[in-house]
Amino acid sequence: MSFIQALLIAFLGWSSSIYGITVGGGLTGWYTLGRPLISGFLIGIIMGDVQTGIIMGAAIQMLYIGLVTPGGSMPADVNFAAWIGIPLAMAAGAGEEFALALAVPLSTLGVFAVYGLCAINLFFVHKQDAYIEKGELEKAARIPIIGQVTNFVMRFFPILIINYLGSGLVTTLVEMMPVWLTDILQIFANMLPLVGFMLLMRTLVKKDLDIIYFILGFILVSVLNLGMIPIVIIAAVIAYLKYQTSVKGA
Amino acid sequence: MAETKTLSKKAIRKAYWDWMIFNLSVQNFERMEGPAIVRMLANVREELYPGDKEKQQEMLERHTIFFNTEPFLGCIIPGIVLGMENEMAKGGDVQPEFINAIKTALMGPFAGIGDSLLPGTLCPILLSIALGLCQNGEIIGPLFYILVFLGIMFPLTWFLFSYGVKAGASAAEMVLAGGIKDQVTKAAETVGLIVVGAVTASYTHVNIGLVYTSGDLAINIASILDSILPGVSVLIVSLIAYVLMVKKKWTVNKMMILFLIIAIVGYFTTILTV
Repeated sequence: MSFIQALLIAFLGWSSSIYGITVGGGLTGWYTLGRPLISGFLIGIIMGDVQTGIIMGAAIQMLYIGLVTPGGSMPADVNFAAWIGIPLAMAAGAGEEFALALAVPLSTLGVFAVYGLCAINLFFVHKQDAYIEKGELEKAARIPIIGQVTNFVMRFFPILIINYLGSGLVTTLVEMMPVWLTDILQIFANMLPLVGFMLLMRTLVKKDLDIIYFILGFILVSVLNLGMIPIVIIAAVIAYLKYQTSVKGA
Repeated sequence: MAETKTLSKKAIRKAYWDWMIFNLSVQNFERMEGPAIVRMLANVREELYPGDKEKQQEMLERHTIFFNTEPFLGCIIPGIVLGMENEMAKGGDVQPEFINAIKTALMGPFAGIGDSLLPGTLCPILLSIALGLCQNGEIIGPLFYILVFLGIMFPLTWFLFSYGVKAGASAAEMVLAGGIKDQVTKAAETVGLIVVGAVTASYTHVNIGLVYTSGDLAINIASILDSILPGVSVLIVSLIAYVLMVKKKWTVNKMMILFLIIAIVGYFTTILTV
C-alpha cells in the first residue's frame, strides 16, 4: 500500500468515525461513509479494486448491521474494523474471512479509543465553561471544532500507521496460513453476524414472546425466500394491526 | 401563546447545520452533547440578543449542562430549545428553568425513539436491501444506500428541527403528552424484529457437514434437517445466541470467543463445514 493510499484511507476513516465532522457530520459521515459497505466501496476505489472492496465491506457490514450505541456506550467499534481490516486484507490479497478475523481485535482497540476520547474531552468541556465565564463567546462556540483534535489523534494516526506499516506483515501472515485455519475462520465468520443481530435484539425485545417476530422474519426468508422489500411491507402491516388492537384494547 | 417574532430562515439554517455537524464532535463523559448545544446557540446569539452581551452570556451559561439523545431524529430537541430561547428573547412568557426542564424531559424519549428507528430499523433495512444488490460486488449496492438513506434523512431532520423551532414548547407538550413515543417505538420494534429475523436467515450460515454412514448407506444430516425446516441449524444457533447475549447479557467479545470455539471444535469433529 502506498503512503498516499494510506493517507486517503486515514482521512476518510477519521471523517466517518462516530465523532467525525469533516464530511458534514454524522449523517454523511458515521451513518453513510462509516457503514462498512460504503467504507469498503471507497477503500476499493482508493486501492484500485472496487469490486473486492465492496465484497469485503459487505462481509464486515453483516457483522455490524445491528450496531446500536445506546446512551453513548460503545458495544463494538466498526471504524477500525472497516478502515484497517478491509485495506489490510485487500493488500494481502486475502479473502473476506481474513478481514472478519481482523475485525475482532480491531474492534476492541476501537472501543478503547472511544472511552479514551470521552475522558480526554472533559478538558475541552471545562475550557468552554471558562470561555463563557470570561465572556469570550466566540471562543466558546469554537470548542466543538478545536475539541475534534482528540478524535483526529485517536482515528487518523492509528489508521494511517497500521495500514502503511502493517500491510507487509499481514501479507506474509496470510501466505503462511494453512487451509484448515482459513476453513475455521470461514466457519467462524459465517456465524459472526449473529453477534451484531443479537446486539440489536437487546434494544428491540421487550418481552420473551417478542422472539416470535424474529422467527417469523427468519422463516419468510429461509422457507419462502422472500426479498427484503416484501418483508418490510408484511412487517409494517403486522405493526399496524398490533397498533389497531392496542387502541381498541385501551 | 405570546406574539413572537420568528427567527430568520438564515439563522435557523445555520443552527441546523451547526447541530447536524457538531453534535458529537467533543463527546465526553460529563456533558455528552452539551457543548454542541452551546455552539449552536452561540452562533445565533446576535439574532437572539442583538448587542446585549450580558444576555448572550447568560443564555450560554444555562446550557453548560448534560445533554444526550439520539442526535438525528432527536434534532427536534435543539430545535425546540432554539424556538423557546427565541420566544424568551422576544419577551415571551418563558422561564429559563423551563427550557432546561423541557430539554431534559425530551432527551430520554428521543434517545429511545431515535435508537430503535434509525440504527435499529432504518439502517438495517436499507443495508440489507443494499447487501442483496451487491452480492458480487456491484456498485449499485452502496449507491442505493447512500442515495436512499440521505434522501430520507436530510429532509426529515430539517423538518423535525425547523418544526421544533417554530412550535417551541408546544411541540414538546405534544410529544410528552400524546403517547406518540410509545406507539412509534412499538411499531418500530415489531418491524425491526421481523427484519432482523429475515436478515439473520439471509446472512448467517451454519453448515452441517455430518454424514452418517452405515455400510453402503450414507445419510446427509444437513439435507434431513433442511427437509424439517430450511435453515433450522442457523435458527438453533440464533436462539442460543439470543439466550446468551440478550437474556444473560454476554458481552460481544465473550460471544465471539464462544463462536470461535464452536468453529474449531465443529471443524475438527467434521460436524461443521465451510
